[in-house]
Amino acid sequence: MEGIVLALFICLVLALITKYLSVPAIPFYILAGMILGKAGLGLVASDEISYFFSEMGLIFLLFFMGLGLKIDRVIENRSAVLTSGIIDLNVNLIIGFVAAYLLGFPIREALIIAAAFYISSTAMALTSLIDNRKLLMKEADTIIWLMVFEDFMLIIALALLSVGDQNLVFFAVKILFVLGILYALAHYGKEFLISILDRNDELPIIFTFAAVLTTASFSMYLGVPATMMVIALGAAFATTDPDAFEQHARPFKDVFLIVFFVFFGVTIDLSGGADWFVIGIICVLAIVSKLVSGILTGIYIHGSALSGLEIWGNTIGRGEFSIALAVVYGSPVVGMTIAAMVIVTSIVGSFVAKYSTSLRRVIVRFGRKSAPPRRIHIKH
Amino acid sequence: MTPMSLQSLNLPGVGTKYEFVTEKGDTVAIFFTKTGVIQMYTRQQGCNTPSAAEMTPVEARRLGNILTGAIIEADQESVEVAFSALAALRITLHAYIIPESIAGKTIENLQIRTKTGATVIAISRHEKNIINPPASFVFETGDAALVIGETDQLKKLECELMVD
Repeated sequence: MEGIVLALFICLVLALITKYLSVPAIPFYILAGMILGKAGLGLVASDEISYFFSEMGLIFLLFFMGLGLKIDRVIENRSAVLTSGIIDLNVNLIIGFVAAYLLGFPIREALIIAAAFYISSTAMALTSLIDNRKLLMKEADTIIWLMVFEDFMLIIALALLSVGDQNLVFFAVKILFVLGILYALAHYGKEFLISILDRNDELPIIFTFAAVLTTASFSMYLGVPATMMVIALGAAFATTDPDAFEQHARPFKDVFLIVFFVFFGVTIDLSGGADWFVIGIICVLAIVSKLVSGILTGIYIHGSALSGLEIWGNTIGRGEFSIALAVVYGSPVVGMTIAAMVIVTSIVGSFVAKYSTSLRRVIVRFGRKSAPPRRIHIKH
Repeated sequence: MTPMSLQSLNLPGVGTKYEFVTEKGDTVAIFFTKTGVIQMYTRQQGCNTPSAAEMTPVEARRLGNILTGAIIEADQESVEVAFSALAALRITLHAYIIPESIAGKTIENLQIRTKTGATVIAISRHEKNIINPPASFVFETGDAALVIGETDQLKKLECELMVD
């Protein structure tokens, strides 16, 4: 218990500093966890309480993501969402998987690394667009919808990775069964849900907390992935009053998620030795492969490779979802690799996003200089 | 050309966006972000890079008041209130910064109500609010006074008392 208190206090200070410097906080939470935990000073160890808190952080993160998934809006925008989404998915998933496999990871671990490698941090991308005042740029819409597409891919990844050795048909039936219950609740219980959310007492917040926890434990009981089902719960509730749910779930998410990040750092174990060569290559590739997908998207959607630079800058950072994959499915080696990737990409990403406009200007100027000088025609 | 068509759009995870193109071809866009800040972008026609201003909700409301023409001077704001049930009653609330000329005097000394008909309903002094000040209240320079009355009553107040 003292461990959590110490960790939370340090995170409070880190949150203040990172907010002041407007850099992403997630890498620093993980680093703090690593310094406090097994890999560092050994002051904090994970226990049942921290495990429970971390679990809460994960399911509230995913519930929150579900609240933002407006399926009808995606269908309206499907052409734009699909083009950029498919480029991003193919380029990054393939580079990530091939690299991890060639570097010696077994197939299943390489797949987990590839998924974590592919999925950018929605929180970092959106914060960087707002903080750097880029919302009106034409690339901003592309980036926002790219994040939505990635969220959908995460749901599919969660389902595929948790099938395990279960009977596929039976597994699908169970998932459809839970989805059906959630849909029916949101559809037929809409009036009731809204009447609860409209109250001014503690009921809305208790209801939100209980609904998320019940869904998670019910899914575990049935043997379907709880992670996926809380996203579905969020998406189902989004059809009623998503803003109210966001407001009631936010305090839980904000606090538990910090515990989740710190204790992800705490549990990282370097005693088995870390292959820094492998980790280094994955980190560099994680930055390069988003550059490739960014430029391709820029060319296809905006007809300009320079647009791609902007997309690249804002999507380099991997964060919460990559860590979620590492925590739920990863082995210690995979965890260490993903941790390093998150730390490196999020810091590099925040700098590139801040200076991408200047970078663009430099490239344009350089391009002009190196172009052959125009002939000047002089009239005789 | 059609009059300004305002587009509103809900961006997932970001907030609500309002955008329109002016008659001269300039673009104005406002984003109400989920973080609570409001960003306003303007882009001149033919220019690629927009310029942006970030505002708190209070600042945005102030800007809105300026744009609708409700404020004549930055430190003198007024709002006219009309109720649908009382169409003939038009009441104005006006904020004044107390000039040096009346500092040190009380509401009673100045005979504000008898002379003008307007009523002082609140004073703001150094971030502290005094609601419904007594007649013995002494004004200080720099106080902001909120006065309620009909338009011509407030005009009278301005001409007779609020002069430097």
